[in-house]
Amino acid sequence: MSGHSNWSEWVYIGVVVAILVWVGAEAWNVERIIDHVPENAEVIKVTGQQWFWTFEHADGTIEKGELHVKKGIPYKFEVTSKDVIHSFNIPDYLVLMDAVPGRINTVWFVPVDAGQFPIQCREFCGLIHYNMRGTLYVEDGLDR
Amino acid sequence: MKNIIGLFMVLSILVILPIIQIVFAAGDEPEKYVDRRVEIWNLFFRMMTVAFVVGAVVSGTLIWLIWRFRESNPKATPTKYEGTGELDK
Amino acid sequence: MVLELQKPRPVWQIMFSTHHTDIGLLYIISSLTFLFMGGALALAIRVELFSPGTQFIADSMTFNRIFTVHGTNMIFLFILPFASGVGNYFVPIMVRYKDMAYPKLNAIAFWMIPPAAALIWLGFADFGWYGQPPYSMISSPSPAAEMWIFGLKILGVSSVLGAINFIVTILKCKHPDLPLSKVPLLAWSFLSSSLIVLVAIPTFAAALLMLLTDRLGVTGFFNPALGGDPIAYSHLFWFTFHPEVYVLVIPAIGMMYEIIPRFSRKPIFSHSSGMFAFILLSIVSFASWAHHMFATGMSFTEKTVFMVGTLAAVPASAMHVFNFLATMWGGRAKYSTPMMWAIGGIALFFSAGAGGVVNTAMPLDFITHDSYWVVGHFHLFVFGTIAFGSFGFLYYMFPYITGRMYNEKWGKVHFIITLIGAVLVFFTQHILGLYGMPRRVFDYPPFPAWIEMNQIAGVGAMLLGVGMTIFLVNMIYSSAKGKEANMEDPFGLGGKYYYPYQRKNPHHD
Repeated sequence: MSGHSNWSEWVYIGVVVAILVWVGAEAWNVERIIDHVPENAEVIKVTGQQWFWTFEHADGTIEKGELHVKKGIPYKFEVTSKDVIHSFNIPDYLVLMDAVPGRINTVWFVPVDAGQFPIQCREFCGLIHYNMRGTLYVEDGLDR
Repeated sequence: MKNIIGLFMVLSILVILPIIQIVFAAGDEPEKYVDRRVEIWNLFFRMMTVAFVVGAVVSGTLIWLIWRFRESNPKATPTKYEGTGELDK
Repeated sequence: MVLELQKPRPVWQIMFSTHHTDIGLLYIISSLTFLFMGGALALAIRVELFSPGTQFIADSMTFNRIFTVHGTNMIFLFILPFASGVGNYFVPIMVRYKDMAYPKLNAIAFWMIPPAAALIWLGFADFGWYGQPPYSMISSPSPAAEMWIFGLKILGVSSVLGAINFIVTILKCKHPDLPLSKVPLLAWSFLSSSLIVLVAIPTFAAALLMLLTDRLGVTGFFNPALGGDPIAYSHLFWFTFHPEVYVLVIPAIGMMYEIIPRFSRKPIFSHSSGMFAFILLSIVSFASWAHHMFATGMSFTEKTVFMVGTLAAVPASAMHVFNFLATMWGGRAKYSTPMMWAIGGIALFFSAGAGGVVNTAMPLDFITHDSYWVVGHFHLFVFGTIAFGSFGFLYYMFPYITGRMYNEKWGKVHFIITLIGAVLVFFTQHILGLYGMPRRVFDYPPFPAWIEMNQIAGVGAMLLGVGMTIFLVNMIYSSAKGKEANMEDPFGLGGKYYYPYQRKNPHHD
């Protein structure tokens, strides 16, 4: 039955593999570009707990539920949790990193646009997971 | 055949442009920092383009097959397995 | 064995039977019952999320329990048992043996399901079907959590017993004149999925036990305060459950391998490609588990390894799609209900896979992780591929089991309504995820885009409900009062393609 030639299937698999190799290479490259944290990034410690976010700036200032940052400055978040797994997410800036108790995960970004952006939790953490929200305020760097 | 050529053209453009970007990325002033949103969404839209092109090929083929080989098609002929009365595996 | 529903038999005879067709029937009927129960939960979720604010579910705890039991039920009490039912019914026939290798063990494996189901449904746990610690360890109320753990333990054992039975039946009990390379692809699908089960399930059994002892405070495997790591659970869980999703989809693809060639009136394009693709998928499925964990703080190298492992599984699935399309090419197809379901299933299988490739591109996970994109993606697999293939196969085997035909027109109506509903719900959810809506949320802020898309998905869910109601009525009514089927050719294909005929002529094929 499989006596007839299967050349069409081989070509098809060749095309599929070529597309997948392209996907893998592109993804690897973009990840490489965004993974590199600038040396002068300001550190902000992010702590998730049921059911709110706490932020500690490099100078020791603490903010709860809201985070003020300056436009154009790179920030590195060190994310952890006090109880269960949460996930720190600023969807407009594609910042997403799990907050796991017992470990510190790192993600960085540069707030390029001024304004207010939602912060939410992206890992199920119980009763108020759906409302574990905050606000990111990006200010023009002139007045703070 | 035309579909395949079109697909390859789209794919080559999608492959070449990022390479050009990487090569010329060294002198990216004054934006010194990578904007992760731009990088990630760009990748997403490039992949969506490929996915939809492939999807159009696959679903187009499927729809054509459904139409061409339906039993009510005037061009439909019995398959060579119908005469024997059994599905030969 | 055939036509048992036409001749009245005492129910206890079916219940205590160890014959493969009876046990197959028990699996199928119970799995369909759970399908409807789980579907009701899904409708509750969609109605609640139709608009911001509370619709009718009083609090988030109830909502959390509903989505947990919905997921757990659909995977473990519908998809797996339905596949086991189909396998039990047909594998012995396909390998030309009188029953499964271990009939009594087979019955035991089935009867583990009702108590496990009772534990899951009566417990109604709230931590999502993953059971992820630390939440499931420190924050989730008893006894729901323990009942879930025990229920899943029992189901795991049942799965493994079933897998052993399938493997021995296919490899050791097949007819001496039947070479393995000529065994039908549906049987091959059970062989490969059973091999995966055997390797993958024990890891989760270990994880469940560790979760239980952690909950009891005896150990600290996943408790950072005691030196443990919650991510260890994630690795154990996903090491089982990534291959497990292939256990779910492979039998459905096997079912499509029965339907598509027959309704195209020609044999499968390449039987050997189908076999190869199943075995390749079984092996490569173990190489990708941590793509579910890209957001947990994995290093660049780790993520790359798992991205490559995920992509490596795609060609095997692509081979199946090619096989189906190449089979249809040159055929003379009749689009009866089973064929429509199988073809719709292929189209949605492709869409699901394409979305999966997007997910696995590491940076894109920052967009899609734990959002409604993922919900849409996996539902295209479990509903769009597996349920579609299962419904198609159920319509196909209906005359064989009952001796009657279902109502063809209503079968097609069921298909069209379900296809439209599935697209409305699951494709929309992909976009909803791109807009940032997280999973497992009882409520959401009144962003206009989120509201609109949730409402579209809600309408789609209603359509699915309507379709399933039509299906239920068709199945029940036709089993009792349907027209008697022509057992040699119930679908009017004009040839002798149907199993009853093949069974009478064991020396062919």
